Amino acid sequence: MSRVPSRILVCVGLFAATLPVLPQIDENAFRFAALDIYLEAGEPLAAWQFELRESSGRMRVVGVENGDSAAFRDAPYYDLAAVNGGTADHIIVADYSMEPVAELPTGRSRVATVHIQIEGMAEPDYELSLMAAGGADGAPIQASIEFETQ
Amino acid sequence: MRAPKLVNELKTIFIVLGCLSVVFFAACAGLGDRSPGESFPQPPSEPAAQTESASGRPAGLEEVVVQPRPREAAAQPAAAGGIAENQSESPLMLEQAIVTAVRGQLSLEVASSQDVLPPTVNAGEELWVIATATQPDTAGDPNEDSSPGSGAMLATYLPADGAIAGHRSELPLPLKHTEVHARITGYVGTVDVTQQFENPFDRKIEAVYVFPLPEKAAVSEFIMTIGERRIRGILRERAEAEAIYNEARAQGYQASLLTQHRPNIFEQKVANIEPGHRIDVNIRYFHTLAHRDGWYSFVFPTVVGPRYNPPGTANPILAVPRAPIRPLTTGAAVQYLRPRERSGHDISITVELDAGVAIEAIESSHYIDQDRTGPDTARVELASRATIPNRDFVLDFKVAGGQIKSSLLTYRDPEHAGQGFFTMMLYPPSDLESLRRHPLEMIFVLDSSGSMNGQPIEQARAAIIRALDLLEPGDTFQVIRFSNNASQFGPDPVRATRRNIARAKQYVRSLDGSGGTHMIEGIRAALGFPHDRRRLRFVTFLTDGYIGNEAEILGEIHRLIGESRIFSFGVGSSVNRYLLERMAIIGQGAVAYLGPRHTGDDVMNDFFERISFPALSDMEIDWGGMQVSDVYPSRLPDLFVGRPVVVTGKFWGSPDEITVRGQAAGEPVEVTMDADGQMNEHGFLPGIWARLRIADLTDRRAWVRDPYGELEGVIKNTALEFGLMSDYTAFVAVDATRRTAGDSGVTVVQPVPMPDGVRYETTVP
Repeated sequence: MSRVPSRILVCVGLFAATLPVLPQIDENAFRFAALDIYLEAGEPLAAWQFELRESSGRMRVVGVENGDSAAFRDAPYYDLAAVNGGTADHIIVADYSMEPVAELPTGRSRVATVHIQIEGMAEPDYELSLMAAGGADGAPIQASIEFETQ
Repeated sequence: MRAPKLVNELKTIFIVLGCLSVVFFAACAGLGDRSPGESFPQPPSEPAAQTESASGRPAGLEEVVVQPRPREAAAQPAAAGGIAENQSESPLMLEQAIVTAVRGQLSLEVASSQDVLPPTVNAGEELWVIATATQPDTAGDPNEDSSPGSGAMLATYLPADGAIAGHRSELPLPLKHTEVHARITGYVGTVDVTQQFENPFDRKIEAVYVFPLPEKAAVSEFIMTIGERRIRGILRERAEAEAIYNEARAQGYQASLLTQHRPNIFEQKVANIEPGHRIDVNIRYFHTLAHRDGWYSFVFPTVVGPRYNPPGTANPILAVPRAPIRPLTTGAAVQYLRPRERSGHDISITVELDAGVAIEAIESSHYIDQDRTGPDTARVELASRATIPNRDFVLDFKVAGGQIKSSLLTYRDPEHAGQGFFTMMLYPPSDLESLRRHPLEMIFVLDSSGSMNGQPIEQARAAIIRALDLLEPGDTFQVIRFSNNASQFGPDPVRATRRNIARAKQYVRSLDGSGGTHMIEGIRAALGFPHDRRRLRFVTFLTDGYIGNEAEILGEIHRLIGESRIFSFGVGSSVNRYLLERMAIIGQGAVAYLGPRHTGDDVMNDFFERISFPALSDMEIDWGGMQVSDVYPSRLPDLFVGRPVVVTGKFWGSPDEITVRGQAAGEPVEVTMDADGQMNEHGFLPGIWARLRIADLTDRRAWVRDPYGELEGVIKNTALEFGLMSDYTAFVAVDATRRTAGDSGVTVVQPVPMPDGVRYETTVP
């Protein structure tokens, strides 16, 4: 009597060993994240450029999205050389708007979202720097930049 | 005693194991196609023994052979027609194939990774198509259920041959609309293409669409739009982009991927489109326009024609029927709608035209609405938004003749100090028209394969017959046909006597379209015999170019071309312009098109008008103050009357005066031009140069021995540096802000209509 359950257990064990390997999503290997980039300017913002780095080189940029303001409704541009440099550990993103001053954002606004793929589960070490910010007349303006992770 | 006991225990184990396996596979079979809550019709009741595999064997459980494929082949995305389980790069692929085989529905046989047969769905087999109510024809079947479609999704069983007698069947598919907006400045077009994908089903899908773009298109931008959010895609090495896309898809992120199969064939994938949701993909490209006799041509192709892939074709472009599974192939598979089926996909085209000089006339392959906004400008729209995308949209515009002259455009690259890019449109001098041409050795090569059946071959025959009438007594000629093999009018070219021409016409009239497209046979027959040096040998190919082994063809032309000149004539509504163009470039000739609105007479009259005057050959260019490099085309073609040549390259120094010297009918000819001084106003030039460089290097892969992949490396680096699509680069975009729920859904391949004038029966296996 006691052999029956043991046989079944053996059978089930062997059967389980023959099961096809189901696709496993190894989320430890790669994951995706989005960084909202905010720029705060005291006067209407017509142009900007920033650089985003990840110090350990585990970041791959997989998309660059437009911001909240209608003045920047199109997707921002990125610097090809920065992305294709080999390590892909940083990206330079920029955009400008030809809208009237009244349509340009003032104060704090999301100017872009950078979509990235990250290797490993360790927390990335992002470095974000504002390279340029300009007003409608093309002159540089004072601004600050920060990011929030989604 | 212990040994028999062990044997008995093992027997028991195997019996139980066998039973569990059957239960497991049966469960897999059920789960494979169904989601909870769905109700399904019963499969047809024909016994399994009546169905046959692709090889003719009965497709019952006992007879079906499923061969495991190499990992590389498995990594190719699996195709689906209508709706089918996604098998792309999944470890479950083999298991699903086994499950399918167990169900007795399908036979897959893979001969090799380079010779892949499309799977066959046989009559009476199970084919799942989720469809809205059928759209009745205006002359509808009185017995048809004419109740209005509720818009609800229905699971409908269709016979595998697609025969819904007397009905026009409109299938709900993800690609709803293609919007094309082109801006033409001078002879450069910048084109924005928006593909609108919507999910009409009740579960998540991955949409897959194989589509054409112009052969010269330099694809430089890619944006995925979800509502108001616009995500710019990133150009990466192809394998890396594919890996990112597959990872995003598997994890439930919305993503899109654009890859290139040929310079004029692309594949779009959009992952994780939720039920009822829409994702747009925007593609931007630019290209130069073809020019002939004062007419510029803007072309937007709408459908990939069905390709024939001779055995051994690498990366084939398969032509397959709409079916619920995707053929296993190292290339691409285009699924075609059956006669009377419609996809509901329509197209709109708008062209903003700024010719820079007065526009004299505008013509189009389609009905258009045109608004002449100024002497040099116009706005043109495709008249009917519901136009079926089954033939090339061609817009021709003629500019004021007296204002055309050779010109040079330049652009100084701010990122490379001192380096610039130029493009020069070189027109032949008008005094060539006062000279007489040499006698010709004309070789007419006619594609008589199945895809040419019907109107295309009728047009091609008429063209050759007209050309025979235009030969002069001192000329000789030959007529060669090819399909599965090649044959010819006579063993050697014959003199253009009345009697020979009459016999040749009879021969041409007897030719019909059937069989495969073994163009290589036609190439060898046309170029592989001794050249009569007293005559200029012109080889004219009349073909739709519907083949998948373009590289092999171009390599053979390069090997055999000698002193011949190739003039390729694309015959049909949606021809393979990439092949025809490259044949002409390598053959140092020119390309022309014989579309549905043209007659053979018109095209041949025009051609003979060109070749009735001597060409400017053996050209050399004195670049003056410019030092040039990387000039394309790398071999300058002859310059024929009415046919300008566009030369593009890099330069250093200062453009001033350029002198072109050559020979025409044995006489020296010299042309001089000034640079136009419009430096830095032509920012598109680096991209155009890079696209030409990629095209040139891509051709060279066919004849340059490259064991270390150096050509591939140069192509890839050029594409990455200039941000362009190529065989080795791809655009990927991921929306990483949100994961959709559930698995990655099912793959739905967008089937396309057969090109206008091409018969489904003679082209789709």
